[in-house]
Amino acid sequence: MIGSLGLKLARFAVVLSVFALWEVLSRTGMVNPRLLPSASDTIAMLGQLLQRASVRSDLAVTASEVAVAFVLAVPCGALIGFAIAENRYFAEVAKPLLFFAFSIPKSIFLPMFILVFGVGFSQKVGFAFFSTIFIVIMSTTVAVDSVKTEYLTVARSYGATTAQTAFRVYLPSMLPVLLETVRISMIFNLTGVLLAEMYASRDGIGHQIATWGENFQMEQLLAGVLMIAIIAMTFNELVRWVETRCSHWRT
Amino acid sequence: MQPLANVTRLQPASRAGSIQIKNVGQVFKTSTQSVEALSDVSLDVKPGKFVVLVGPSGCGKSTLLMMLAGLRKQTSGTILINGAPIVAPDPDRIGVVFQEPSLFPWLTAEENVEFPLTLRGVDKAERRRKAQEALLLVGLDGFAKRHPHELSGGMKQRVSIARGLVQDPPVLLMDEPFAALDEQTRMTMGDELLRIWAATGKTVVFVTHSLTEAVYLADEVVVMSARPGRIVDHLTVTLPRPRTYEMLSGDAFGAMRDRIWRHIRKSA
Repeated sequence: MIGSLGLKLARFAVVLSVFALWEVLSRTGMVNPRLLPSASDTIAMLGQLLQRASVRSDLAVTASEVAVAFVLAVPCGALIGFAIAENRYFAEVAKPLLFFAFSIPKSIFLPMFILVFGVGFSQKVGFAFFSTIFIVIMSTTVAVDSVKTEYLTVARSYGATTAQTAFRVYLPSMLPVLLETVRISMIFNLTGVLLAEMYASRDGIGHQIATWGENFQMEQLLAGVLMIAIIAMTFNELVRWVETRCSHWRT
Repeated sequence: MQPLANVTRLQPASRAGSIQIKNVGQVFKTSTQSVEALSDVSLDVKPGKFVVLVGPSGCGKSTLLMMLAGLRKQTSGTILINGAPIVAPDPDRIGVVFQEPSLFPWLTAEENVEFPLTLRGVDKAERRRKAQEALLLVGLDGFAKRHPHELSGGMKQRVSIARGLVQDPPVLLMDEPFAALDEQTRMTMGDELLRIWAATGKTVVFVTHSLTEAVYLADEVVVMSARPGRIVDHLTVTLPRPRTYEMLSGDAFGAMRDRIWRHIRKSA
């Protein structure tokens, strides 16, 4: 077995060499620096951008859209998923349909969201909600199915009420899958908001990044990409950390 | 295999329950047909007895046990435990140990044992104390903080037994509890169960496929036939207690096991 420290060092080395390659390609002119500004310049630009009030307010707008869409989509999806999983007839009817719906690229519906909601906050939230809810529904049905009947029989034989069964059997049993759902749905959610912002918007960091791209401001564009990547990875790792703490028993 | 010479009653048989099963029948109805799973089953179990139900697959012995547990309703007849009918699960009167250990993997051994008490809102100190006692009784006092995945199959079933006993119910129902264990663990667990039973004096109803296990453990063996399940023999095991490994090869043991086997072969 390879030591976990060794693995971490190897991973770090990979990341470092990507950045080093980026720096070298740009500095030596092997790739036109106007097309690919150097890594160090991009990171410096990232620092500058974070100082700018306009960028910060864009980030705030995006964050609030993401938060609202997330807070709406996850519980709604979870409830629908639960209802489907717990009702056999519902499940038989709905499950294949959900798979069909899930296979459609959500982005083609974006123009319709603009027609219905106009360009603004509700368009972003609406589209992100739509992008997210299917994966939440599907994952929740999987989570419910992961609750073993034996657990429910045990709870019943010891006289558990419906509420006790929900909170003491369903919830802890589903928790690892649910956390995974939260993590994956955030990826869909963030993608939805950014896509909606880049497509048609007046503010938000996605809009800003699209604008930088159109104006050929490569340094800003790449700094923006780095920023989003760091934010997304941080959230992802945070949930994964909670996941490993809550699902130590899943082996 | 150690003979169980040192079996002592750790505490007086505090509560042992009586069971009366009267003319119980069960019919499963599907859209096209109805299947009679149990037919006119009647059985009296005296307090403190160890009764084993055996029979071929599909004879309804597990179904009958689930009815005793209040987890399934019979189509006809009545079931009384301590004189009162069973209409729903009643943890006050009945503890159940299932075939699958069915412990909650997210809880520690101790928390699993506490589970029935947690459901009833017993306060934490009291829960802890009773769980400790039950774990001590099943010989797992050093493993309270372990999670199920850190325990062996036999240990998991010990936890499961402790959970069944934690509320001190007069009746303990066991649905093929050792079926998933290997032969050696199974023998040890049988001895352990007899020790626990002797210590607590509970009435035990135990379902198994194994004829050897049936004769080895039981005061009385109830033999059931395949569909519709009915009682075809009810024999009293005359072997003295404590039971020992040497008895397995004795004539009396063999004769009883043969008698059960003949019934089963006939109906299978």
